[in-house]
Amino acid sequence: MSSFLDKSHTIAPPGYNRFLVPPAALAVHLSIGQAYAISTFNLPMTKLLGTTEDWSLLQIGLLFQVAIAFLGISAAVFGRWVEEGGPRRAMFTAALCFSSGFMVSAFGVWVHQLWIVVLGYGVLGGCGLGLGYISPVSTLMKWFPDRPGMATGMAIMGFGGGALIAAPLSVALMAYFKTATSQGVIETMLVMGALYFVYMMIGAFTVKVPEPGWRPAGWVPPAVPKKLVTSAQVDVNEAMRARQFYLLWGVLCLNVTAGIGVLSQASPMIQEMFPGRVTAAAAGGFVGLLSLFNMVGRFFWASTSDYIGRRNTYMIFFALGVVLYLAVPTTGQIGSIPLFVLGFAIILSMYGGGFATIPAYLRDMFGTMHVGAIHGRLLTAWSVAGVAGPFLVNYIRQYQIDHGVAKADAYTITMYIMAALLAVGFACNYFVTAVNARHHFRNAAPSAAE
Amino acid sequence: MTPKMIALWLIVGIPLAFGIEQTLEKVATLFY
Repeated sequence: MSSFLDKSHTIAPPGYNRFLVPPAALAVHLSIGQAYAISTFNLPMTKLLGTTEDWSLLQIGLLFQVAIAFLGISAAVFGRWVEEGGPRRAMFTAALCFSSGFMVSAFGVWVHQLWIVVLGYGVLGGCGLGLGYISPVSTLMKWFPDRPGMATGMAIMGFGGGALIAAPLSVALMAYFKTATSQGVIETMLVMGALYFVYMMIGAFTVKVPEPGWRPAGWVPPAVPKKLVTSAQVDVNEAMRARQFYLLWGVLCLNVTAGIGVLSQASPMIQEMFPGRVTAAAAGGFVGLLSLFNMVGRFFWASTSDYIGRRNTYMIFFALGVVLYLAVPTTGQIGSIPLFVLGFAIILSMYGGGFATIPAYLRDMFGTMHVGAIHGRLLTAWSVAGVAGPFLVNYIRQYQIDHGVAKADAYTITMYIMAALLAVGFACNYFVTAVNARHHFRNAAPSAAE
Repeated sequence: MTPKMIALWLIVGIPLAFGIEQTLEKVATLFY
């Protein structure tokens, strides 16, 4: 089995159709995207015993935070292992971690021990998220050197789409397994663990890497590389000595902080900004719309970046983001729900676009040699943002309400702070320049470069 | 388009289409 998982056994034969690779990547990303839908377990998990001994929403919220933290940590720690071992081994391991995370969590629910649930879904599942997230990235960029943004955007779009599948699936499963004495959480976790294992294995067993030096038929690399697109290679450890790594870390962190804070509070926010005009069901529709834009934005913006350049794409994210965040309180004051919804839909498309465009940006800066590993280390920015974003929105809102500000107005300052964060992101992106030649890998063989 | 290609794209496309359809049903509540 170990040899079957080796990178050497995944090299595609001549004439292999490269469009067989994106579905393999999508199978993994559609599975691990379930993380965004973990909140569907929240309410049932507060009623497991039907007594005051049940877990609180705050305690269960730990699941998502620990999972996202371990996503970043595992991607950073194992990025090089993923890069060296190839996508099949990484996808296989990710499937084992992610599905066994569900199994361990189901056991934790059964014995009603929160730490086991967190250990299962949060730690083990989180490692599955990290490994699964980065596993197909560099492979896709090697298959699509002509359209790296589109290729990675397609896979990372799957992460956004995964939540759209998992939310109704987990609700339906819990409804099916629910009895007078059980919420159906254990059975649902076991079934989802098994389903995702099979689905991710389809990805692991079909993924292939191109042979060294492979190029799409008829495609020749541009004789004069575009500005800010390197033809050199940078080692992952050396990349961390380059200023550009930290600027891009800031770019990702600030873009995600601004988006994730809103995403986590979207439902109460629209209801409180338009009191009496938006029902809870309509607020659910608003959240659904944001999820759709989050998903579509990943493919749209990453593909667009192939034409307009990565730096320009982020310039649009940050500049337009600042304008939209500054305009949102006004849409509330004039009572325009359509403008409010439209503003946040565009913001969330750029949130998704930020995730999807960053691998190609890293490839432009540091080459393809260790791009997966560098991407893994950069994902720690997501972990930080995953904690900082919701905290900022919740804390600032509560602080204002405690000081007598009306609920409808309590988001105004938050929006201005988000705009300020995006302005800092704009500055980080503005200062991104080509990586100094002293960081380039000296003995890069042509095969490694491909 | 080989059978393998069609099968693989259907395997990822059908669940995604299901998810999008379910989400669009929720989104519709915004307009009523």
